[in-house]
Amino acid sequence: MTYTAVPGLVETKDAYGETTVIVDTARLLDAARYLRDELGFSFLSDVTATDYLGWGDQAVAGYIGTAAGRDLNRPGSHGLAHRPARKPKRFSMSYHLLALRAGATRVRLQTFVDDGEPVESVIPIWPTADWHEREVWDLMGVNIVNHPNRVRILMDEDWEGHPLRKDYPIGGEPVRFSGEE
Amino acid sequence: MATVERHPVRPGKQLIYEGSRIPRRCPTILDVPAHLAGNEDINQINFGPNHPSTHGVLRLVVDLDGELVVGLRAVIGYLHTGFEKTMEQKSWWKCITYPERIDYLSFQTNELVFVLAIEKLLALEVPEKATWMRMCLLELNRIHSHLVWLGTACLELGAISMFWYTFRERDQILDLSEMVCGVRMHTRYFQAGGLAEDIPTGFYDECWKFVEQMPKAVDQYEDMVDRNRIWLERTKGLGLLSADDAIALGQSGPCLRASGVDWDLRRDQPYLFYDRVYFTVCTREHGDVWDRYKVHMDEMRQSVRIIAQCLEQLQKFEPGAPWIADDRKVVLPPREELHTSMESLIHHFKIVTEGYRVPEGEIYTTIESPRGEMGCYVVSDGGAKPWRVKFRAPSFVALQATATCMHEALIADMIAIAGSLDTVMGEVDR
Amino acid sequence: MALNDKSLAARGLQSERVQWVGKGPGVFEREVESLETEVGLTTLAKAIAWAQTKSMWPDTFGLACCAIEMMSIVSSRYDIARFGMEAFRSSPRQADLLIVSGRVSHKMAAPLRQIYDQMLEPKWVIAMGACASSGGMFNNYAILQGVDRVVPVDIHVPGCPPRPEALMEGIVRLHEKVNAGVPPAYEIRGVAE
Repeated sequence: MTYTAVPGLVETKDAYGETTVIVDTARLLDAARYLRDELGFSFLSDVTATDYLGWGDQAVAGYIGTAAGRDLNRPGSHGLAHRPARKPKRFSMSYHLLALRAGATRVRLQTFVDDGEPVESVIPIWPTADWHEREVWDLMGVNIVNHPNRVRILMDEDWEGHPLRKDYPIGGEPVRFSGEE
Repeated sequence: MATVERHPVRPGKQLIYEGSRIPRRCPTILDVPAHLAGNEDINQINFGPNHPSTHGVLRLVVDLDGELVVGLRAVIGYLHTGFEKTMEQKSWWKCITYPERIDYLSFQTNELVFVLAIEKLLALEVPEKATWMRMCLLELNRIHSHLVWLGTACLELGAISMFWYTFRERDQILDLSEMVCGVRMHTRYFQAGGLAEDIPTGFYDECWKFVEQMPKAVDQYEDMVDRNRIWLERTKGLGLLSADDAIALGQSGPCLRASGVDWDLRRDQPYLFYDRVYFTVCTREHGDVWDRYKVHMDEMRQSVRIIAQCLEQLQKFEPGAPWIADDRKVVLPPREELHTSMESLIHHFKIVTEGYRVPEGEIYTTIESPRGEMGCYVVSDGGAKPWRVKFRAPSFVALQATATCMHEALIADMIAIAGSLDTVMGEVDR
Repeated sequence: MALNDKSLAARGLQSERVQWVGKGPGVFEREVESLETEVGLTTLAKAIAWAQTKSMWPDTFGLACCAIEMMSIVSSRYDIARFGMEAFRSSPRQADLLIVSGRVSHKMAAPLRQIYDQMLEPKWVIAMGACASSGGMFNNYAILQGVDRVVPVDIHVPGCPPRPEALMEGIVRLHEKVNAGVPPAYEIRGVAE
């Protein structure tokens, strides 16, 4: 399965047995249509948004856990703490696709967006994306356009803010002596 | 254009209707048809969130023309718990208790999907005994979930006695769970690397007793309702969902298989040791409420088969065989060692206070939960806490399909259809 | 455990629930006893209280995992029908007892209060489980940190989820409270505004 002909392709990553196809946000619908019609990914499993605000700010000190084993002094690290690479924009939208045939091929269609940048809704291609995108809008605030019913789904209709963002506080009440403020 | 193999439908079987019923771009709301829009006889009624017949806190806003449902809108979010945000604040080890409460009927399924994601990122090797035991408990969970579904679905349709019969077996499963894990529900038994504790002696005998008795119980359930005229009238031909619509709407699990699509992640994307056991994937062709009920019943029998095979394999292990991975950077050392070994003490301290660190990466693991494809998307930045966790809940997607299934349905049918989709509001709202 | 034919009462134990050989009545039982003598109900009031406890119908307010354990007390093993409580009324107008079983989100707090208001006096509330009592393991933006912020609670039952026996212990203690003459929580704590 080669993804070289996906419209708007930026990068293809292979890790842990999974393939991630990163495309340009403007050509998301073309890429989605190509994946569904040409490559047979007729099943949209999940639509997720991830907020990378503060990504890489916390240094990972000490031993580094890798797939090959625990490695205190990874070659090339000069003993310094390893930080994850910066992401291009604040949010990433991940569409997890599945092809219903022997082998269960899966792929993650990913695109990076900024706060407020419009993302086309993929409902015309996979109608199941409806509630997933509503949830993404509700909890993350990614600006999904051309959605027929973009209202809050999990929070109250008059709730302000997008709870799953990294700059939204966890809430709740303070617990004494727990070490968590 | 490459020829793409369509979904593998059982060959030779005709679907009761073909083609899609998805009326417009947004099939998740049933809108009052134009010719009735201004009609004063249309009643808008609110079903829920506190309602005996909606599974949990689901609110359905229905427009009724007499008893015919002409408009439907599902409002969810009454059980939104903020699992994902809360898990971002806890270390990986402490996070494992949270997913269980998402789908509270098949609690160990959610635990497993999260633990599998961690293990994949950490590249941990899980001992075989732990994998077989995980499979056994997972299938027990599947039966548990189907039993509770059956009891409550029949309760809603008026076949009240079934509730007591199914809960009789359900209590036996929870007894087994209590014997192994110490608590009936929400066991926190699966850890990254294997199981939290060894399997107690006496479990195999009790489980074999259950395995021998369960198929007879399933026969008893079918005897009770299968030929009941009222049950047949209330379930046959209702809530039809074609295979194309099911795939387009992202259905999975019993819903998808009842619509004729031969797809089961246990067979098609095997995890744990499902490729080493024999079981049948149960499909039906019509996609109505009756077929979903039948798929659930068949699945219970197949689960018993799988449990029997797991027990046979488990009994081949020696009593002291390892039940968790050997990696002390991730797995807590046994308590006896803490008295003698300094390294064990330090590792214990580090794991409990700071937590183990999971390498940077993103993973999407999926397993076949009793409701369908349960997925867990984990993003790690290499730290001691998850950066992002997302649970793909099959009921969330199944509930979207309510409006599409509701074709000329009465209120009573709506209850039957919403029940047959086997939704658990904990995982819908997360 | 092996019990001789002699009943527990004959052994000097005043509470039927205590099955520990040699253990006397617990603090709760002694307090209830002293309350009974202090409150000093009339015979008619005692009879009314007895009748209220013998068929206290719960409302179907199952929210999450605790609801499944609440359903299992209706099942035949933990049979709650022996207390006359198997009739779970779905209409709050016909229910006496509200067992809040499960986590209450802020979105659900308004319907919860509405259901509580629709119940007729006398009415009692059991907060079942850790989430209903205090927010449980969810200390975040979405969950109400204890239902006693919106409804007055009589009995808190701890557990996650509490065993069916634990819930029944809570129900039995509620019965003992009522029999002793303790008024329902809305008279003691005041109704939350």
